[in-house]
Amino acid sequence: MTLRRRAAAAVLLLAAVSGLCVHWAATEPQREAYPQPDELAADYDSYVGEEIRVAGRVTAAEPSALTVVADSDRGPVELRVTGTSAAVAPGGIVQVYGKLRPGRELAARNVVVVSDSGGAEWYKYGVSAVGAVGFLVVFLRQWRVDPATWTLEARDG
Amino acid sequence: MADLLTHLLVAYALCTVATWRVDWLDRRWVVVGVGGAAIPDLVKVRLVVPPSAVERALGVPFDVAPLSTLGGVLLVAGLVTLAFERDRWPRAYGLLTFGGVSALVLDGLRAFADGRASAWLYPLTGWRPPTPGLYVSSDPRVLLAAALLAAAVAAVDRARQ
Repeated sequence: MTLRRRAAAAVLLLAAVSGLCVHWAATEPQREAYPQPDELAADYDSYVGEEIRVAGRVTAAEPSALTVVADSDRGPVELRVTGTSAAVAPGGIVQVYGKLRPGRELAARNVVVVSDSGGAEWYKYGVSAVGAVGFLVVFLRQWRVDPATWTLEARDG
Repeated sequence: MADLLTHLLVAYALCTVATWRVDWLDRRWVVVGVGGAAIPDLVKVRLVVPPSAVERALGVPFDVAPLSTLGGVLLVAGLVTLAFERDRWPRAYGLLTFGGVSALVLDGLRAFADGRASAWLYPLTGWRPPTPGLYVSSDPRVLLAAALLAAAVAAVDRARQ
């Protein structure tokens, strides 16, 4: 296949990926069972009493409550998560499922500690970087780019 | 999602076990399958290019989340396949897709607060499958388990040769 036709196919596939990204975002409200942080930022009070699943960063931890900040396009949304004794330090990431109460309080039914501190997030990125570099080294030991055709070819033929 | 290294190690173990049954599947093709497992992690591009910035620039809703779904894996695997010679496309595409789906399944097993995974079967369905909640992604024991699995498979593989 000529380079030009491959490039055309790549452009088509990239367009399809972009289309998927637009479609996903446009249909999100139909897929999401719960109010999103954007909606809470815009009009919290109209969602009081509803159930929600939200992920956010812990900014303060008490024995039976957490202060969690979720990002949204309308700025950060701060919630006081009550009814939890999850072991997590400020800087950690949690996912909370619970019921919204007046005064920006989220009564937790379940809390998943995604990262118990800011350091746990860096652990994940560090390990992922090791994986990426290691993979590239191993891949390039088996495959090389043929500069004449711009294709990957096996090193051992 | 689980860290990238865990995705790669699990795909390595699965593809290596497959070499015991499939004649043409050798080490260089195992590497391609392992690479497929990195496709869902491309969603991390959002750390560099925030989707909200793309939305403002394009003027339409935009989110890279589908890169970590079945639809994203099928399309990106196609893109990567184009880098191979024409007669190798079926193998390359099959292995890239296999690796990508293995990473999606692994991510679908992790803990979510409401017991349901993300809609990773999108765009086939927006349904969020129930998850057994086996792990959280920052737990080092996940990587340890994947590394032990990969090492065990590598040892058996060496013994067979």
